[in-house]
Amino acid sequence: MDNRETIRPFKFMECSLLPLSTGIRVQTLRELRAALPSVPRSSIYYHFWGKMLRPHIAESEYINDFASWVDGSLGDTELAEALSAINPVTTDLGEIRSLLEDILDGRLEEDGFMSWKKSDREFYFIACKKLMFDTGRETDSLRNFPLAVKTASRESFFHHFLDARRRSSEGKDDFSLWLEQFGSETEAVRRRLEKVDSYLFSLGELRNQIVSILEKGLLKEGK
Amino acid sequence: MSSILQKYGEVIGFPAMDGLMAIADRLRGKKIVHVNSTKAGGGVAEILLSMVPLSRELGLDVSWEVIEGDEAFFACTKTLHNSLQGMSGGLSDLQGEAYMETNRRNAERLRPILEEADYVFIHDPQPAALLNLMPERKGKWVWRCHIDVSAPNRSVWRFVKKQVEGYDASIFSLPDFAQPLPHPQYLITPSIDPLSEKNITLSRAEVVRTCEDLGVPLDKPMILQVSRFDHFKDPLGVIESYRIAKEHVDIRLVLAGGGATDDPEAGEVLERVREAAAGDPDISVLLLPSDAHRTINALQTASDVVMQKSTKEGFGLTVSEGMWKKKPVIGGDVGGIRLQIINRFNGFRVRSPEGAAIRIRYLLTHRWKRERMGVNARQYVLENFLITGQLRNYLSLLISLDGGEGQWERWI
Repeated sequence: MDNRETIRPFKFMECSLLPLSTGIRVQTLRELRAALPSVPRSSIYYHFWGKMLRPHIAESEYINDFASWVDGSLGDTELAEALSAINPVTTDLGEIRSLLEDILDGRLEEDGFMSWKKSDREFYFIACKKLMFDTGRETDSLRNFPLAVKTASRESFFHHFLDARRRSSEGKDDFSLWLEQFGSETEAVRRRLEKVDSYLFSLGELRNQIVSILEKGLLKEGK
Repeated sequence: MSSILQKYGEVIGFPAMDGLMAIADRLRGKKIVHVNSTKAGGGVAEILLSMVPLSRELGLDVSWEVIEGDEAFFACTKTLHNSLQGMSGGLSDLQGEAYMETNRRNAERLRPILEEADYVFIHDPQPAALLNLMPERKGKWVWRCHIDVSAPNRSVWRFVKKQVEGYDASIFSLPDFAQPLPHPQYLITPSIDPLSEKNITLSRAEVVRTCEDLGVPLDKPMILQVSRFDHFKDPLGVIESYRIAKEHVDIRLVLAGGGATDDPEAGEVLERVREAAAGDPDISVLLLPSDAHRTINALQTASDVVMQKSTKEGFGLTVSEGMWKKKPVIGGDVGGIRLQIINRFNGFRVRSPEGAAIRIRYLLTHRWKRERMGVNARQYVLENFLITGQLRNYLSLLISLDGGEGQWERWI
């Protein structure tokens, strides 16, 4: 598959994520549960994925906004831990909503007090619009690939690595999918990319990690 | 790439600049107009002073119009502003008429430009009535609300709502501020311009000379609040914090601000601040012209701790400015400041003068942590609150308006 004639170039795309108010805000677990079925799908997306593109620090304890709010504003750490176990990479948005509902139902059934406890800060459901576009940048060389990823914008990196895992039916990022055409030559790199836990880092940290894997795998190993 | 875009690219990175240019390309040939109520003074004018030239550098056809009003109009819009931020008291019939009459006059003057525009951004409530006065408009209109309307005076909000519900979209800085309206409400934070006079890096010599010229000695740690003299910025609370902290650390306080042409209350607040500061040689109250950007830059650079102890705040531009100069910021735990300051990471959010005082003492006695938080603060602004990012969001919003209410994710 290493024939230059047939190599498909990697085209760098980008996305803009625009948050929108839904007007829905809640102060208790019961209200959160009641609101979930009616919020737009994009709101579920935003509260799981949007964090990476908005002001945040990498040290956040939880990987989705529901868990952060439940712990930070309601003080229910156990529930926050359960909510943070939802893996948005392998679960589609509809399933995520159902899982959230199930976990909340369980909690509401077992602890009457928590269902009415008011948080000190409301949870605002935020929806979003995501616009994706071609940047015009592309590369077809394995040797240039690490640098091209390193110098892509954070929105582009988000689109190709984090968001791609959600879009792909196999949970694969765009970099790995592109590298597949080189067959066994890139197999080790793809395995390493697959193992990266994308949720526990800021975008900058994550990119450094990915670039390091690409550099080691594609440059230093003489590929 | 023009030399100006090149300079922005050096700050935010060229890939990010390429992304901005790619979005701008999709709006080439469209006429975009911004309308607000003042050319100088205050955050809105400052943002537009940067955003309009940057948009033009990107090849966009962008203009900026300012509505003209008399004293009665601006007294009315100040009441509107205060009431929307929760102050009691409504709009009298006379004030309501002054508001509408000024908008009618401006509508006649601006009609040719606004009716032809493809996109119009109307900033804040002052010119909001222009939409209903332009029935022949052809473009999409967006109302950009910069103020904290989380708990508005209801009668005043009803008045404003009538003016803004016909817009195609509105923009608020935080979800807390959004109000029930029959159109999409986008959430976009304001920003600062890293290349403006207020935010470029100054030489140490210029900083020292500016402080000398202002009569501000650099002999002890400086606490600084830069803001308009406005009740909601709580300058009296800042003086109280300073007095409490000064019992433990020898400090100097500088309160610097200017007036905006659309703010008739500034004189009264300034007078009260001067009275409170009278007799204390370590407090400097500086009334600066609205274009004293370099002077403010020098003061922020010279300071050790920046404060923005607001009791209401749509978004604290001075918070971002201080952070950009690697200063930890102590801010009121309100509005947009909650998004800007992350406790112990880049500053502290406080709810009282006593709270501010203890944080002042902490920062001045923990130099390493102060410096670490300052470094975090600059990086945080770089990633989240620069003009290039805000413009990118505005342009994306315009593109999204043309896509209608369909799918939430789409290719453009």
